[in-house]
Amino acid sequence: MKAYGSKGAPITIEVFSDYECPMCRNLFEQTLRPMIADYVASGKVYLIHRDYPLGIPAHKYSGQAARWANAAAEIGQFENVEVAFYDNQQAWDASGDLEKYVAAAMSGADFKRVQKIMEGCEPPGPTGKQGAVNLPPHPCSLDPYIEQDIELGNKVPVAGTPTYVITYKGQRLPPGSGFVSWPLLKQFLDNLLRQ
Amino acid sequence: MKPPRNAGRILLLVGRVILAAIFIVAAYAKMKPQTGMPWTAGSIRVSLSMFAMGVDSYQMLPPWAVNALAFLLPPFELFLGLWLLSGVALRLSSLIALVMIAGFIVAMWSAYQRGLTISCGCFGPGELIGPQTLIRDGLEYLPLAFAVTFGAFWSRRTAEERARVTSSPQQAG
Repeated sequence: MKAYGSKGAPITIEVFSDYECPMCRNLFEQTLRPMIADYVASGKVYLIHRDYPLGIPAHKYSGQAARWANAAAEIGQFENVEVAFYDNQQAWDASGDLEKYVAAAMSGADFKRVQKIMEGCEPPGPTGKQGAVNLPPHPCSLDPYIEQDIELGNKVPVAGTPTYVITYKGQRLPPGSGFVSWPLLKQFLDNLLRQ
Repeated sequence: MKPPRNAGRILLLVGRVILAAIFIVAAYAKMKPQTGMPWTAGSIRVSLSMFAMGVDSYQMLPPWAVNALAFLLPPFELFLGLWLLSGVALRLSSLIALVMIAGFIVAMWSAYQRGLTISCGCFGPGELIGPQTLIRDGLEYLPLAFAVTFGAFWSRRTAEERARVTSSPQQAG
């Protein structure tokens, strides 16, 4: 599961992201990480990651990054891989070497399991293509997870990344998009929890 | 000469009512409680803090300034709408409306130029900044505010001229 925290939390936040998008990195590093450490850890927020790899030529590896993250999620290593991808975004955005950062994010044994899940999912080269979303052309067993997220995103609708959808006690609020700083998100969450 | 002056006054009245409605609707959309929440101070605070996140996504101001703007702007929009509707000191109220709309356009244009895919926040959440919002504000709201401001100054000048004409014979007498 690509999620953090308890499903029973009063607030659920779904974030539609592209691992190669700088704004998504900023949101994750500056806003979501403090939120995970505080509001997710204390059971107030349930955070769900949704894959939405954008179909723009500059994002050559975002679809493949989503596959690696989903493979890691299969063995409960999603959080480590997401952190590794955002921490090293500029490096793998330039080199395309995602595997290196996945390997560094977990034990050797776990990485072997992830590699096994990824068998048949490795593209021959950069996978960027123009379109609504960016998935490598050949099929992979992990793609249905990503496609499911994309489908959910299209229903929102997601016009760009990051886009976030907040649900409070089952009531879905209008979606927001772009970067939000932690003090302002925290203020919003506090006001919501006071309801 | 009488019919054109009356027509001008009617146009000015219609213009300022529309301009007032734009500000009142914009304020309402930002302050109204989210679906399923009652009208309370707390639910309005939730909506305003949600608007603050929208303002923050423009990435133009530090968080403290975003907060001040987000919590003051919607009540001020409501006040301005009612002020325009009242017609009191119309030159000043319409000038403020004109400056505010121009400011909104500059902020939206800046976000659009920087490639930000964000909600404009004009009438609550959900409306993305794009050619549509820029055209609406730039080619509809801005000319309307300009016309009302111009009309307010014109109306005042006409009234002053009329007062001068009517008072002149008395002074001569």
